[in-house]
Amino acid sequence: MARLELENLTKRYGDFLATREVTLDVEEGEFLVMLGPSGCGKTTTLRMIAGFVEPSSGTVRLGARDITRLPPWRRNTGLVFQSYALFPHMTVNQNVAFALEMRRTPAAEIGTRVAEALRLVRLGHLGDRLPRQLSGGQQQRVALARALVFHPDILLLDEPLSNLDAKLREEVRVEIRNLQRELGITTVMVTHDQEEALTIADRLVVMNEGRVRQIGTQRDLYERPADRFVAGFVGRGSFLEGTSDGQGRFRTNGGIEIACAAVEAGPAVLGLRPERVGLAPNGADNSFEAVVEFVSYLGGLVDLHCRLTDSDRVIAQMVNTGGGDLPRVGDRIRIGWPAAAAFVFSGEKAK
Amino acid sequence: MQSDSARTGSPITASSLVGPAAVMTVIGLVLPVLLLLRYSLNLYDPRELMIETVSPANYVKFFTDIYYLDVFFTTVWVAMFCTLVCLIMGFPLAYVLARTQSRFKNVLIILVVMPLFVGNAVRAAGWMTLFGSQGFLSISLMDLGLASGPTELMFTTQAVIIGIIAVNLPFMVLTLQSVIEGIDRAMEEAAFSLGAAPMTMFRRVLWPMALPGIIAGTILTFILGMNAYATPVLLGGPEFKMMAPLVFGQFQLNNWPFGAAVAFILMTTTLSLTALAAFWMQKRVRLG
Repeated sequence: MARLELENLTKRYGDFLATREVTLDVEEGEFLVMLGPSGCGKTTTLRMIAGFVEPSSGTVRLGARDITRLPPWRRNTGLVFQSYALFPHMTVNQNVAFALEMRRTPAAEIGTRVAEALRLVRLGHLGDRLPRQLSGGQQQRVALARALVFHPDILLLDEPLSNLDAKLREEVRVEIRNLQRELGITTVMVTHDQEEALTIADRLVVMNEGRVRQIGTQRDLYERPADRFVAGFVGRGSFLEGTSDGQGRFRTNGGIEIACAAVEAGPAVLGLRPERVGLAPNGADNSFEAVVEFVSYLGGLVDLHCRLTDSDRVIAQMVNTGGGDLPRVGDRIRIGWPAAAAFVFSGEKAK
Repeated sequence: MQSDSARTGSPITASSLVGPAAVMTVIGLVLPVLLLLRYSLNLYDPRELMIETVSPANYVKFFTDIYYLDVFFTTVWVAMFCTLVCLIMGFPLAYVLARTQSRFKNVLIILVVMPLFVGNAVRAAGWMTLFGSQGFLSISLMDLGLASGPTELMFTTQAVIIGIIAVNLPFMVLTLQSVIEGIDRAMEEAAFSLGAAPMTMFRRVLWPMALPGIIAGTILTFILGMNAYATPVLLGGPEFKMMAPLVFGQFQLNNWPFGAAVAFILMTTTLSLTALAAFWMQKRVRLG
């Protein structure tokens, strides 16, 4: 177990920058999730930690060691692959024992540690099977046991759940999380699945186009997104294009004036989470007449897709109490939100 | 079969797919081999050519004559040696071909296959101009001051071995390449991340996983080596004898019974050595 520090990690392929000056710390025992669309650089970053990709510049420090130029087999990182990558010609026991054999652990100790690792993932009884005789979920757990048995300094998970079906995914997710807590092992996971990331992480890193866009807790990302990309990538929201006057007024391209936080004057984007936009009047700072264009029934909640002007659309949400009629498509309603509810991004952050 | 095709609603049944190949195998392989076996038990007579009988005389003659035994063992070791060299040279090449991300990958594969576009005899003729004492190689070595006198490679064992390796290497490379391509790169990375250095990774993961291809490629090149005809005849000259030219020589002399016996010995040896090697390799992996 160790602390991981990435400093200005850049990977260049010709003219293409897979990662740009990625800097982040993972505390001892922390579960960090790297989240972003495909091609954002999260996998490249993980592979630089594991040692399969050599950074063009920057450093990777694990514990007290600078491992930037160390080959993967000298790094002591436990890696779980998306495809599990279990050795098909070895039994479960042999797979799990592999790393211990590489470390010249005495045979007697290998036996006990393999058994212990398999018990940890509740597969103690399947040691003599071949990987192909196991279900996807079981293979996943073998891969986890194999990556943990040699007490790595850090556990790296590369989209470990994406090959499982939805129900199993939830189970394994909880299992991984509990195991990680129990062992207190520093963990970095890569995923493009937002829900997965939000439920499992201590902290998240949102990446796009090779850059770290924001590092923070779930709440930081959802309620205080650093820029338009993060706001749009984590959680749902509506975005209005327009200009900021620099003094807390935002004017949409459709001509509406909205009270909001003050940002630098110029072209800007205003974002709203659906649950912060309700049926007015609620003494709101902003209250507008809108036409319901689409009603999305979610059970306990109802989403109302509203048109403010021809170019300004907002999703409002109301709690379904069961009483009374729900708004219908074409209805004119009043919606509103407090000035503090909206995020406004201008300049670079609006992109 | 009728009910099968009725049930699937398709006129294509398993038998219609396998049938033509099966007929070809029976007519082209099984019958001739049986005939050969029968002939090999007959006796040769210079006047009557073939005397119908059942006698082991031809086999006894082969295994008691030092000349024929020499041909036999030369063939086996040349084939084994060439196969080994093909494997050692072919694996790295196949690995690179399988793993390359280059957009010229297809060009590289065509380059490997290219030698097969030229027939064995034509290629051997090319080698002759290269290997002779007045050939390109000899002259070049002298011009470069690397050899004092003319180098005669023509009609030597070395020439035959080089020739057979050149013919067989593409078969080995292509077989290995397709198998290595089927091995997920993550397997290698998993081994690395678990602490295996490259040679250990190769020994414990890549080699055993590629074994089906290694066995297939080895068998293929070994059989080709054992049965090489044009290369030993053209590059080995009259003194150098391998089994396939010996068989043909006997048929030319109209000694069909002995030729058939030699052919049968060649075939049986090839098959049993192949089976033995495959068995041994598979067993070793299971133990390792």
